[in-house]
Amino acid sequence: MSDEAIDRTKLPIRRPQFEGKVERTLDGSQPDWNSIAPIPAPKGAPNVLLVLTDDAGFGNPSGFGGPISTPTLDRLGEGGLTYNRFHTTALCSPTRAALITGRNHHAVGFGMIGEFAGPFPGYSATLPKDCMPFPKTLQGNGYSTACFGKWHLTPDNVQGPSGPFDRWPNALGFDYFWGFLGGESGQFDPVIIENNTAIGVPDEDDFYFPDAMADKTIEWLHGVRAHGSEKPWFAYFSTGCSHAPHQVGTDWSGKYKGKFDQGWDKLREETVQRQKERRVIPADAELTPRPEAMPAWDSLDANHKRLYARQMEVYAGYCENADWNVGRVIDAIDEMGELENTLVIYIWGDNGASMEGTLTGTFNELTTLNGVPLTDEQQLQLTLKWGGLEAWGTDMMGPHYSAAWAWAGNCPFQWGKQVASHLGGTRDPMVVHWPKRIAEQRGLRPQFTHVIDVGPTILEAVGLPQPTHIDGVEQQPMHGTSFLYSLDDAAAAEQHTQQYFEILGNRAMYKDGWWLSWMMPRIPWELDPKTLERFAPGVWDPETDPVELYYLPDDFTQAKNVADQHPEKVEELKKLFWEEAERYDVFPLLGGLTGFFGMRPPIPTQSQFTYYGDVQNVASGMIPRIYNHSYTISADLEIPEGAEGVIVAEADHLGGFSLFVQDGKLRHTYSFLGVQEFRQESETPLPTGSVNVRMEFAADAPKPATGGEVTLFVDDEPVGSGRIEHTVPARFSGYAGMDIGRDNGLPVDRSYVDKSPFAFTGKVKKVVFDVNPHLTEEHEQELHEHLEQALAGHAINA
Amino acid sequence: MSDDQKDVLIAAYLFEDLAKKDFDAVLKLAKDKAITVEGVVLDQKDEKGEVEVSETGDHLGRKGVKVGAGVGLVVGLFAPPLLAATAVGAALGGVTGKFAKHRLESGIGKKMDAALPPGSGGVIAVYDSGGADTVDKALVNAVKKSVAQIDGMSAKKLKAGLAEAQAGMGG
Repeated sequence: MSDEAIDRTKLPIRRPQFEGKVERTLDGSQPDWNSIAPIPAPKGAPNVLLVLTDDAGFGNPSGFGGPISTPTLDRLGEGGLTYNRFHTTALCSPTRAALITGRNHHAVGFGMIGEFAGPFPGYSATLPKDCMPFPKTLQGNGYSTACFGKWHLTPDNVQGPSGPFDRWPNALGFDYFWGFLGGESGQFDPVIIENNTAIGVPDEDDFYFPDAMADKTIEWLHGVRAHGSEKPWFAYFSTGCSHAPHQVGTDWSGKYKGKFDQGWDKLREETVQRQKERRVIPADAELTPRPEAMPAWDSLDANHKRLYARQMEVYAGYCENADWNVGRVIDAIDEMGELENTLVIYIWGDNGASMEGTLTGTFNELTTLNGVPLTDEQQLQLTLKWGGLEAWGTDMMGPHYSAAWAWAGNCPFQWGKQVASHLGGTRDPMVVHWPKRIAEQRGLRPQFTHVIDVGPTILEAVGLPQPTHIDGVEQQPMHGTSFLYSLDDAAAAEQHTQQYFEILGNRAMYKDGWWLSWMMPRIPWELDPKTLERFAPGVWDPETDPVELYYLPDDFTQAKNVADQHPEKVEELKKLFWEEAERYDVFPLLGGLTGFFGMRPPIPTQSQFTYYGDVQNVASGMIPRIYNHSYTISADLEIPEGAEGVIVAEADHLGGFSLFVQDGKLRHTYSFLGVQEFRQESETPLPTGSVNVRMEFAADAPKPATGGEVTLFVDDEPVGSGRIEHTVPARFSGYAGMDIGRDNGLPVDRSYVDKSPFAFTGKVKKVVFDVNPHLTEEHEQELHEHLEQALAGHAINA
Repeated sequence: MSDDQKDVLIAAYLFEDLAKKDFDAVLKLAKDKAITVEGVVLDQKDEKGEVEVSETGDHLGRKGVKVGAGVGLVVGLFAPPLLAATAVGAALGGVTGKFAKHRLESGIGKKMDAALPPGSGGVIAVYDSGGADTVDKALVNAVKKSVAQIDGMSAKKLKAGLAEAQAGMGG
């Protein structure tokens, strides 16, 4: 079938008309081999490599004047085009949803992130069937497609083997997926998902997720080419880096030793100077000042300066490694002789660098996400507890750097991740490389571009129309504007001329160079109830939030607020914002934070959870909701002589629990996020044979993070007891799962680290969790509200 | 020697050189007679929990001089096995046992062990409790400070045991 004869507007493409001849027997029949040929891609269609990094700033990579060496980004820029006015949504899932659908994030249900589906259309965390991702179009038009790394578009509660799988990558246009579904992952102990199956934590000693991700991508590329010599491919390489936990070997972080001793204030000055030298910002661009919320580097004591410098050294090494791995993929493509006709779009950051580590940074990001307040002093002490500065970046910690480093990483702009009203949250580096199509080297493109433009650009580049129908469902047109027009013409008038921005109440409206910033008056990392009271329904009037106005052609960095001089422009852009917000389902504002404001999902009714056999890798968001409740873990075991090992364990030493047998005794360890550990053990040895063991936690009170009494039982006889002073109120881990009969990944109790995963040597027949309801409905409601708030906090930071 | 109750302070550090600065600051207080000190020790605990004494200082604020009973008291309270290497040599089984017993019975040992995590540096000082505020202000770089007490009489007995052992070795 010729290219022209194929109707590519409706997917899947209908089978071609049989053009042979069929008689009763082969005698006289004429074959039509085209009828069984696969759908071809448009002739000459390029391969496409789409690279997206995570939580990374405009002023980080060396190609954009930053302090972090990114030779791959730099060389692609030198051999192609650098876009210095590219924008994201300012938050993880929303950017990813906008990227792969080519539509505004609220319009596809992602005003908030995947873990936190809300009860309004703009916040449902459910990609609508009428806004299918563009990889589905490529897949249906002869492309091999794959996604590697972070996905973050599958809600928490459907991440298990029971599905449904229609929100997993395979159902959304990818032949192959290898990575993780949530918002973050440990780099040394990820729970890997391959297609629709959790394959768990790799057991190689030297496993490092970012390296393995590149290995898998290269392996897939080789496999595709080995089995389809003509078929173009699309690979979405979506790094978990540089999201927390910031983990990397000293061979990478060590390169930066001493490189950040000058502090964030000086670093910004150095960066902006280099940015001007490299022409990624105009020569007259003004460095925005340090906000009051950030401390001056010179005001810090020696401990803090060194701790913070180490935080940034690790972050920089982590990022450089990610870029190196992109380089390995590029090299592999080159080696296959295919770089010439491969369109590479390399986006450095799904939002600005993340300020979610709070001002101090943290040894364990889950403390912040659980709302466990740690003082500056406690952070230092806990850093000391888990191995000091040398351990920052290892799997002993789940670290996140100080918000001030993030702000410096977003140089020369204001603010960072979550702050959709300002360029620090929204503007990220993008480089486009396609030798066959782009003649220019070291080209700079200043046209306004946005993440929703990527899909339309790719479809136009490969010669495919936006389909009107996919799987029988009529498709909404993409909202983005292809920027293919800019490839050949640096001076082309920009075609994407207006764009709204909104994340968590922070708003902006861009039109023809003007940028209205309408920031909600909240420091991004402040989520305490008192702060949020100001934004409760009936209290907050978004119309009264202060506005800023910038004219970007004259003010690249948003340093000169001209709102007072142009009140008519302010009003015009305000009005336009409200219109766009209505059009794209942005309303109700704060629709992603319903948990904070009394709109809670129904209380889960399931109180008993039974696990037969050796169930592994229960997703961290799908474990029994034992938080803030009394609960029981009961296990039926077959215990041989000398038995040992884990009966059931969730997560690791930075938050989790483990019920296990060691030295002949039943033991229970509960880690309160690495801040405190609580251990109980049986006073007598366990018997052999068929035995029931039980751990009962009796909560002190129906309140968040309640303490309580633990009693251990063997065949209903109490054999040991102890207290847990504080429990985890919302979530043990952002990624580590629960296992029956072993403790995969990092151990909860490091006493058995040498035997990890410390599989039980007897047989675990059944494990049952019973979560006891609280005595009154009022208590149940209060705790449910708290949990939802805490999870919303987690969601914001994911 | 004062018979007053004494504070046993352990200050933990992220950085060895900052620990050294505070060590020097406490010794200066002793030298200036701003506090009454038995002894001060600068030490390092490795990843496996093994402790090594880097430097010592005595009641007169002198560093690196022959280790007397005051410094021996500090070392013995913190890590009795180190007495052999730092204070009085190998022939000290009895007094080491006395320190170990005191650590166990008073609970001071558990507190001291917990105060200094593996991989960190520390300053340990024993001084008259009346000087607590002054010492606290001098330890500006400590990340964590823990204080236990030992009564004057117990301290005196332990020191006397050390002195006897040292004399025995000398004779």
